[in-house]
Amino acid sequence: MRKLLVYAALLVVTLFVLGPFIWMISTSLKPAGEVLSATPSLWPHPFEWSNYSTAWKSAPFGRYFLNSLLISGVETAFDLTFGAMAAYAFARLEFVGKRTLFLALLATLMVPGELLLIPNYITVAKLHWVSTYQGIIVPWLVSVFTIFLMRQFFLSMPSEIFEAAELDGLHPVRTLFQIVMPLTKPVWITAGLIKFIGSWNSFLWVVVVSNSQSLDTVPVGLMNFTSDVGTEYNQLMAAATFCMVPLAIVFLVGQRYFVEGIARSGIR
Amino acid sequence: MTLKARRTFTAYMMLVPTLILVAVFTLYPILESFVISFFHWDMISPHKQFVGLQNYLQIFEDPLFHRAVINTLLFVILYVPIVMALGLAVALLLNARIRFRAFFRTAIFLPYVTSIAATGIIWQWIFNGQFGLLNDLLRQIGIQGPDWLNTPQDTMICLVTLSVWQSLGYVSVLFLAGLQNISREYYEAARVDGAHGWRLFRHVTWPLLSPTTFFVLLMSTIEAFKVFLPVYVLYGATDGPNDSGLTMLYYMFTEGFSDYRMGYASASAYILFVIILACTLLQMTLQRRVHYES
Repeated sequence: MRKLLVYAALLVVTLFVLGPFIWMISTSLKPAGEVLSATPSLWPHPFEWSNYSTAWKSAPFGRYFLNSLLISGVETAFDLTFGAMAAYAFARLEFVGKRTLFLALLATLMVPGELLLIPNYITVAKLHWVSTYQGIIVPWLVSVFTIFLMRQFFLSMPSEIFEAAELDGLHPVRTLFQIVMPLTKPVWITAGLIKFIGSWNSFLWVVVVSNSQSLDTVPVGLMNFTSDVGTEYNQLMAAATFCMVPLAIVFLVGQRYFVEGIARSGIR
Repeated sequence: MTLKARRTFTAYMMLVPTLILVAVFTLYPILESFVISFFHWDMISPHKQFVGLQNYLQIFEDPLFHRAVINTLLFVILYVPIVMALGLAVALLLNARIRFRAFFRTAIFLPYVTSIAATGIIWQWIFNGQFGLLNDLLRQIGIQGPDWLNTPQDTMICLVTLSVWQSLGYVSVLFLAGLQNISREYYEAARVDGAHGWRLFRHVTWPLLSPTTFFVLLMSTIEAFKVFLPVYVLYGATDGPNDSGLTMLYYMFTEGFSDYRMGYASASAYILFVIILACTLLQMTLQRRVHYES
C-alpha cells in the first residue's frame, strides 16, 4: 500500500516534468488549424510531419548544428586535455606553491560567471575577436570543475601505477595520457559529458559576443527563430523538438556517468 | 637543477595552459570590472572618464534598480524553498526501495540538460492565455486562467514554475546522493529504538543530511540571485510586462549590452557579486554553528 503511494507520487512528478515535452511533440505534429483550437487534443489528426521540414528550412539550422558541434567539441577536447594535466599535477606531483594555487582555483568557483561577462567582452573586443569562433570558444577552454573532478579520481587510484611509470623514467605527460587515461575512462566520460552539455547549452556568452547569424549556436538560433516565426506554435515546437533531441540522446546514452558526476559534486 | 626544482618545473609545464587561461579570463576580469566600475565608458571611445563612486550612487538612486532588487529577492524567496522542498521530497521517493529508479531519475533530470532556449519556448506556449495548455486544463475544472505572460502580477509565478521545473532533477540528484551517503546502521539503530516514519526522518535523516542540505541551499540561492535566462527566453528578450521580470542580472545586461554603459554595468555586477558573497558567507557561518550544536 505504501509502495503504491510512492509510485503514484513519482508518476505525478514525472508527468509534471515530462508533460511539457509530450505537449511539445504533440503540438509539433498538428496541422495549423488544430493548434489554435479551443478544445485541444493530445493526439494530432492528421499527423502533419511537414511541420518539421518547414521549420528546418525556415532558418539555417544545419549551420547552427555545425557551429554548436564545433564549439562544444573544441571546448570539450581542450578542457579534458588541460584539465587532466592540471589535475594530474595537483594529485600526483610535489611542487612549490601547490597549496596556494589550488586554493586560488577553488576560490574562482565562488565567482559568478556573469560578473565576467563585461570584462571578458572587453578583452575579446581588444583582441578583435568579436563575432569570431575564437571569441566564443577561447574564454571557456578550461573549467575548474573538470580539474576538481579528475583530481579527486586520480587521488583515489593506487599509487603503484604512478610509481612504476616514474621508475621507468616516463615523463608525467606520457604517464597521464598513455597509462592513466586508459585506466580512468569513467571520469573522462563524466567530465567530457558535463562540459559538452554545458557548452552546448551555454547561451548568454554567444548572444553577447556574436553579432553574426553565421556563428550562432543551436540555442541562440532557436531563440532568434522564435522571434521571427511569432505564433506559429506547431513549427516552433517542431524546431524545439529537433533542437533538443540530439542532446537528449547524448544525455540518455551517458546519463549514468553524467548524473553520478553531478551527484559527486555535492559530496565534497 | 635540484630534484625539487626539476619537479616544480615539470608540474608548472603541465599547469601552464590552465593558469594562463584562468588568469586572463577569470582573475584579470574580476579586477578589471572593479576598476571600470569607477569610470564612465561606452566601449567605443578611447577615453575613460574617472567618476569615482558616481556609478554606484546613481545605481542606488535608480528606481529601476530598486525594482530589479525587489524582483530578484522575490524570486529568491519563492524559488529556493520550493525547489528544495520538492527536490527533497522527490529524493526521498527515489530513495525508497522501488523499481524503475533509473527511469524516474533520468526522466526528472531531463529538463536540466535541455537548453533553456527550447524549454522557454515550450513554457511560453503552455502559458499562452488563449490556447495554452495550462488554461485549457484550468478550464476543465471550471477556472478561467489569466493571460499569464501579459499580467505583471503573474510574472513571478511563471518564472518560478519554469525554474523549478528545470532544476528539480538537479536538486533531487544532489539530495539523493546525500541520502545514499547515510549509513544504514543509523536507521537500524533508530528502528530498534522504535522510531518510524516522521520521527525517523526528523531525528536521523534530517540531521545527517544537513551537509547536503546546506550545499543545495547555497547553490540554489546563488543560482536564484543570478536569474536571467528564464526571463529572457520566456518573455522573448524583454523584461516582462511593466518590468515585472526585471532582475538584477537583467539590469546589468541591459546597461552593458544595450546601452553600452560599461562602467555603470560593471558597478551593478559588483553589487550583485557582493550580495552573493555576503549570502555565501552568512550561510557558511550558519552551517558551522549548526554543526557545532549537534
